[in-house]
Amino acid sequence: MRTSAVAGLIFANSDDKLKKLTANRSMASVPFGARYRIVDFALSNLVNTGVTSVGIITKENYRSLMDHVGNGISWDLDRKNGGVYFIPPYYKRGVKRLIGTVASIVGATDYIERCGADYIVLYDSHIIANIDLSSALKAHKTKGADITVIYHNGKLPEKSSEKMILSLDGDNRVKGIAFSEESQETCFGIGVSIINKDLLLKLATEADEDGLTSFAREVLAQKTEELKIFGFEHSEYVAVMDNTATYFEASMALLDKKVRSQLFNKKRPIFTKVRDGMPTRYGVKASVKNCLVGDDCIIEGTVINSILSRGVKVAKGAVVENCILMQETKIGENATVCNVIADKNASVDDSVVLKGTSERYCFIDKNQIL
Amino acid sequence: MKSKKCVAMLLAGGQGSRLGVLTSKIAKPAVPYGGKYRIIDFPLSNCTNSGIDTVGILTQYKPLELNDYVASGKPWDLNRTDGGVHILPPYHSQQGGNWYKGTANAIYQNLEFLERYNPEYVLILSGDHIYKMDYSDMLAQHIEDGADCTIAVLDVSLEEASRFGIMNARDDGTIYEFEEKPKQPKSTLASMGIYIFTWEKLRYYLTEDEKNPDSSNDFGKNIIPMMLGDNQLLKVYRFNDYWKDVGTVDSLWEANLDLLNPNINLNLADKNWKIYSKNTGMPPQYISGEAVVENSLITDGCEIYGKVDYSVLFKNVTVEEGASVEYSLVMPGAVIKKGAKVKYAIIAENSIIEEGAVIGMEPKATGDENWGITVIGDNLTVGKNATVGANKMITENVEEGVNI
Repeated sequence: MRTSAVAGLIFANSDDKLKKLTANRSMASVPFGARYRIVDFALSNLVNTGVTSVGIITKENYRSLMDHVGNGISWDLDRKNGGVYFIPPYYKRGVKRLIGTVASIVGATDYIERCGADYIVLYDSHIIANIDLSSALKAHKTKGADITVIYHNGKLPEKSSEKMILSLDGDNRVKGIAFSEESQETCFGIGVSIINKDLLLKLATEADEDGLTSFAREVLAQKTEELKIFGFEHSEYVAVMDNTATYFEASMALLDKKVRSQLFNKKRPIFTKVRDGMPTRYGVKASVKNCLVGDDCIIEGTVINSILSRGVKVAKGAVVENCILMQETKIGENATVCNVIADKNASVDDSVVLKGTSERYCFIDKNQIL
Repeated sequence: MKSKKCVAMLLAGGQGSRLGVLTSKIAKPAVPYGGKYRIIDFPLSNCTNSGIDTVGILTQYKPLELNDYVASGKPWDLNRTDGGVHILPPYHSQQGGNWYKGTANAIYQNLEFLERYNPEYVLILSGDHIYKMDYSDMLAQHIEDGADCTIAVLDVSLEEASRFGIMNARDDGTIYEFEEKPKQPKSTLASMGIYIFTWEKLRYYLTEDEKNPDSSNDFGKNIIPMMLGDNQLLKVYRFNDYWKDVGTVDSLWEANLDLLNPNINLNLADKNWKIYSKNTGMPPQYISGEAVVENSLITDGCEIYGKVDYSVLFKNVTVEEGASVEYSLVMPGAVIKKGAKVKYAIIAENSIIEEGAVIGMEPKATGDENWGITVIGDNLTVGKNATVGANKMITENVEEGVNI
């Protein structure tokens, strides 16, 4: 059977930058936006482009990611041909531990060769965006590009990690690639690019033989003349999860109607693991203002400016303000939580008061009871 | 092929004509319920949760939506290599073919399907009811009793009894008489339309019934009386939980609002007995700073800027600023525009209630027998500032400013 001409390669092995949220899980499986895990955006974007085969490169802490993705059924990736392939680190006896993107790609050689695609979408797993990859792919083919880098023209946030800064000509050809973490108005790569399969394998293998580690910095940035690298603008909302501050900011950005309409484009839905919970129930005395709420919640108290994941329970008299409450969090009667991030299955007992500040959030660990 | 212990046959061909415009384009089992479900999710989920993995779905009336919804049976874990879900429409053979004439004839026409699985028992279900039931418990009783047929019954009040098919049974549960909607009921055990037959008996009586040209080929009217006449062992299986026939506009409305009633025993959040439904990739619901949401059930994809009280909002519903929805059901994709008021109404899928329109009325406002729930059909537009009174069934667009 002929598989899709495009396959996805998700890098779920980036450094885990979200402190406690990534203490026991990879960045890709961090809960986000009331019902998702971050990787849902990558998987859905790929699937919405017609991709039927996705490789997921993992490094450590990937149990929760495997549990979430499973056999890919929620993204229609449970396929006879293609589907989801996990590519955990491969250690050969006696060979030193491989690091960097070059080694990751070389480690995925078997997958890349066998997936049957002509184009590979390289996708960093810590990106929240709904990207029109079909148009990007069309542009890639029309321009006869070797590589197409998806970029956003905007301001880099404060304290962001280093970004790939593109110098583009009038035809969107990349003339130069620099790296910077300064907050500035610029065209920066958002960690998603399209590359021809054979070229990817050739470049990665050569770089590996030369002892290089970073595919973007040591390969692409050095070859802007030799290779036809083009940019494709993603002008809509994008968030790059660099640290807890950007995580919180991106979560709260979902309360903005424009951000929601761009992220949850009806033509390109974002899929996640199905839980089969019932719709959310609002009690007789419930008061909910400016909130994003997943299904299966029971809300009987007051909730303001917050993100509530699936299965959260807020009892009578409780007040929740400026919080991110993850799956199955329980807030007891007359308890007050303000500026709090509660990890999965946390619970706050009756009448407990817990307040962080907008600069410094309180964090409740997974399964912790207060 | 390994033979199955029990195969379920789900009668899903009914038109549900009393639901009017709500079933003008879809079969009754495909009618939306409870925010994210369709009626058929209940028997299908009950099957899966009861360990029954082979289900034939008999379709006839407007099957497109239902076929599309059930598809491979994936949401209910019924996409099995051996068994799984099968859509069974009427078909032609060399001798010709017929529509399904009655419930019994529908099964008769699919005897070949049952023979493929050669089950020991056959469970007959309908796609008209909201309930959670462990069929494996009923099957265990059927086997223990050594019954030829076991019929699930609900103890109803004496006043209600004349609306149902009533099973007159002895203390040990043996049925001696069946009465369809008796004027003077002798018992209050109402048939729930759920039967377990021992397969050999079912095959025999369906074949016998087919020989009688005057038969209506109906389980209640023909098969059960014939078996009783032959002194077969028919037993009741008593069910005490929530069960509701959603055959009318009023009962559909009530059954939905029952989900908001803490005194009603229908818990869809029970993790040990989930009701599964098709996942459509909707984003979470958003409740704005100006919104007032109380005592309601709201589903993924909804955007609420107005007031919602005592209502069930299905997926992807928008309630704009200043609009209000009270004591109502708003089905998937409907939009209630700025300042519109919806009361005691059912707004079907993808309909748009334009700014300032008023739909439905409170019961006390008219205080007469003509009061009832108002229904706006699917994919319709009710124009700006139009008024639609109580007890109306709207099947066409309503122009701006019109008063109906």
